[in-house]
Amino acid sequence: MSTREILTLQFGHYSNYVGAHFWNIQELGFDYTGTVKAECNHDILYREGQTANGEVTYTPRLLLADLKGSLKTLPTSGGLEEPRVEEDLPWHTVERVEEPTASKNEFLHDIDGENSSNINNKEYNFEQDVQTWTDYLYPRFHPRSVNVIKEYQHGNENESFDYNCSGREIWKSNFGDTFSDKIRKYVEECDSMQGFHVNFDCTDGFSGLALGCIEHLADEYNKVILAFPIIASYFSDNNPSTEDEREKANIKDSVRLVNVALSIEELSQHSALFVPLCTGEKGWRKPGAPRAFDYINYKPEQYYHSSALLASAIDTLSHKYRHKANVHTMSDICADMTGYGRKMAAASFGMPVALKESEYLIDYLNTISKPLYKSITPSCKIATDKIFQLITVRGIPESYLKAPMKEAKDQMKLAAYRCSNVKEMFELYFQANNFLSATNVTVSEKPLDLKTPFPNIFSDCLNKYGFVKDDTVVQKVESCPVIAGFHNGNFMSDVIEKLHRDVSRIKFAKLHKFREQGLEEADYRECLDRLSEFKDNYEDDFEL
Amino acid sequence: MSAISLLNPKAEFARAAQALAVNMSAAKGIQDVMKTNLGPKGTMKMLVSGAGDIKITKDGNVLLHEMQIQHPTASLIARASTAQDDATGDGTTSTVLLIGELLKQADIYISEGLHPRILTEGYDVARNKALEILETMKVPIEIKRENLLDVARTSLKTKVHPSLADVLTAACVDAVLAIRTPDKHVDLHMVELMEMQHKTATETTLIKGLVMDHGARHPDMPKRVENAYILTCNVSLEYEKTEVNSGFFYKSAEDREKLIAAERDFIDQRVKKIIALKKKLCDGTNKTFVVINQKGVDPLSLDAFAKEGIIALRRAKRRNMERLALACGGTAMNSVDDLSEEHLGYAGLVYEHILGEDKYTFVEECKNPQSVTILIKGPNKHTLTQIKDAVRDGLRAINNAIEDKCLVPGAGAFEIKANIELQKYKDSVKGKSRLGIQAYAEALLVIPKTLAVNSGYDAQDTIVKLQEESRLSPDPIGLDLSTGEAIKPADLGIYDNYIVKKQILNSCSVIASNLLLVDEIMRAGMSSLKG
Repeated sequence: MSTREILTLQFGHYSNYVGAHFWNIQELGFDYTGTVKAECNHDILYREGQTANGEVTYTPRLLLADLKGSLKTLPTSGGLEEPRVEEDLPWHTVERVEEPTASKNEFLHDIDGENSSNINNKEYNFEQDVQTWTDYLYPRFHPRSVNVIKEYQHGNENESFDYNCSGREIWKSNFGDTFSDKIRKYVEECDSMQGFHVNFDCTDGFSGLALGCIEHLADEYNKVILAFPIIASYFSDNNPSTEDEREKANIKDSVRLVNVALSIEELSQHSALFVPLCTGEKGWRKPGAPRAFDYINYKPEQYYHSSALLASAIDTLSHKYRHKANVHTMSDICADMTGYGRKMAAASFGMPVALKESEYLIDYLNTISKPLYKSITPSCKIATDKIFQLITVRGIPESYLKAPMKEAKDQMKLAAYRCSNVKEMFELYFQANNFLSATNVTVSEKPLDLKTPFPNIFSDCLNKYGFVKDDTVVQKVESCPVIAGFHNGNFMSDVIEKLHRDVSRIKFAKLHKFREQGLEEADYRECLDRLSEFKDNYEDDFEL
Repeated sequence: MSAISLLNPKAEFARAAQALAVNMSAAKGIQDVMKTNLGPKGTMKMLVSGAGDIKITKDGNVLLHEMQIQHPTASLIARASTAQDDATGDGTTSTVLLIGELLKQADIYISEGLHPRILTEGYDVARNKALEILETMKVPIEIKRENLLDVARTSLKTKVHPSLADVLTAACVDAVLAIRTPDKHVDLHMVELMEMQHKTATETTLIKGLVMDHGARHPDMPKRVENAYILTCNVSLEYEKTEVNSGFFYKSAEDREKLIAAERDFIDQRVKKIIALKKKLCDGTNKTFVVINQKGVDPLSLDAFAKEGIIALRRAKRRNMERLALACGGTAMNSVDDLSEEHLGYAGLVYEHILGEDKYTFVEECKNPQSVTILIKGPNKHTLTQIKDAVRDGLRAINNAIEDKCLVPGAGAFEIKANIELQKYKDSVKGKSRLGIQAYAEALLVIPKTLAVNSGYDAQDTIVKLQEESRLSPDPIGLDLSTGEAIKPADLGIYDNYIVKKQILNSCSVIASNLLLVDEIMRAGMSSLKG
């Protein structure tokens, strides 16, 4: 069957961090030699086009939004076409008002320059250099892709884009018109689109903007909307030291929490499936302690780090409906996960799948006592029983499956020895571990490639291919096996319950800005009520 | 010490003279930035961002949007000026200038010890008088092409190069006249603005029909047809999978294909109905058939249409549905059941134009188009945006003139006249508030002064010349920017919108008065909030 296209929409600064990593992973994974058989159909996320000069381009089918001043070196034209200044202007007097040219860091210089091929061997100091997501962005975009909100300045304290309602206003303005026209143009190009990916920051004004957009999509297009409301891993006011700062942080937290609650409630109406993501454990009120992944050391205050994890997760999750074999589509995924109106699901992620380099998968699964993955949905503990789950595993070679007959020894005694491939073995594993659950496993052969500028956050115990080493020779990790999944079940009611409890504690009357911007207290209460009704979808101990 | 500091020791504040000084300097600052842009001889500003994005403009409103205004007073003025644009589409630069000047004039008197309240009272009286004067100066017009051309040209010349302004003027006026039905409000949305990055700006034209930014997505469809029936519809012609839990139940792709084939039949029926209608109407005649759909059309349906020689466009703009019905006739259909000829529109010519990766479809030679397109051309993005902004304002200016049914002489004529009349009026007023009137009269002169300076003439010279001339002549006298001499604007066809002037007088007086009456500025956080 033909390509089932996806249009990706990104709203917000942190989501763009995630997006930058996501597109880096895609684009650095392209094979230009024609020798490697790609598992994923790139046309699903990318489109072929032509510049005005007739050069062929291959750019992400993407629309992103960020605030003025956040793009630094990326021109709003996406960087493919150089703006020409030199043509003679028919004006008598032109006054030039120039902002200082944004300086490019070493990495950006190198990818522009001629030695773009050896960026992989070079060491860059990304932790210091990255001030915004364009600082490590490898791909170039279509002129349509980048949309800047001019009304608000990035990082401006006086007039910050913090409120859901301000985002709504922006959507209703000219910005929304232009944006929806661009969506239409992308959709018009697609022959049989499967749906929309929407990644957005649900803690600030972008939540309102994204939801305005999602509502429009639901209205206008009969397509699946898969939304990832994202909470950043850290906010600059998370560690207040003085009383004053604590008060300020408190208000900011409350504002963010209200934005999150409003987003979740509205998503439950308009999207087909949504999965909140955050690398912090708590998420709702504050990101909280970072989720710990074995063999990975990342700093939550570095967006550059934490967003890489989420990007890898989203990339792996989406493999399910991007495979060339084309068994699943997004609408299948959504239909599978959202029985009984349970539109909110949890996501899990495990990187690396920490096999020892000399170990077989069968032994690993047999001996491991903790889950293979960690939840990356805030305040969520994924239950083991009575769940629906869609798992994607990538990068475990069939040769690691089990020992050959002759050397098998104890392995022979295990039921899993009968499994003839990785997929079957994982299916069996989940069958045995998850009581009363339905599991669908997708397996990709290729691991996650970790090319520069992917952050170097791996422990020294891993070898080149992301397996746990037996020796101690330090190697740069170049790829690693990953597991990720969507999960849904009764356990999600807890997640919503926690959110609802947190947000109910806030005295809305004190957050006067919301009211100033047109959100009435009554509407807000109603919205919270709907949120708790939404939670009821996850209970099954009711009486008729 | 300010009272607020008793309540909140951390509050920042500025009092009385200091507060006023803050407001004044902000007003002057923003005035200085915008000053050079006023009038047809004003400079262009080229804004270059850190990443190299270019924006070239002269339009006060655009500039205000582009500039990051941090100062609270300045942003208040900027907002007043943006509101001016929202309401009338013109006069943003004038608003900023006038507010700044009203404060500047006030400053002179306040520094001599006059209370701001007296001044604002004077401003109020003066404004009412100025509005009366404006009333006497307005020139009633008939809604004729010539009259509208004048006002559109005056507005556009302040925004783009004269040679381009002439092209745009004609296009805008003809567009509005085409979509206008007497005694009804004009819906400017029925003029589509389509951008094409191609050729030069002066090739911008008016198309008496519709241009869409997408084309047929099938290689075999005709690229050009004549005598076409146009079917506009909002009917999905693509297969959309119904929600079935399949991930857990289907093992192979083949299983699913079978199900899909069965479900597709539903869509095929719709396609067949459209084809049947086409066969009935067109076969054996020289007529052709075009389907323009707001929803999607999938490759299989496209294929079926292509075999019949039908052009099918998918995902048309929602607003184009309305526009198509007005341009070609017919109605936008929400279902393909009971289709008949009366539902269809007609266009003499439909053709496709390809530009790089973009396709454009022209629907032209309509019988009585009530919706038209201004096709904006330009060699690069920033020219396109600039023209688009200008065209929007041009259309607004024309529409204002139609609604007002009158115009006001331009070229600074109103300001000169009002200045003289206010000076006379001042003498008939008793008390100190006459000082306010005096200041107001002086402030109005900022418009002709700036016009003169921007064209390279001496401000005082010009004003004196104009005032003298104006005293002698019963007709309004304005400034000829090409010679620096006094002229009668009516002779050169320089006319402004009545509503614009009125709006400027009103909003500027109010904002300036408000700013003058501020005697304390404070910034205090709401620190008692505990979430």
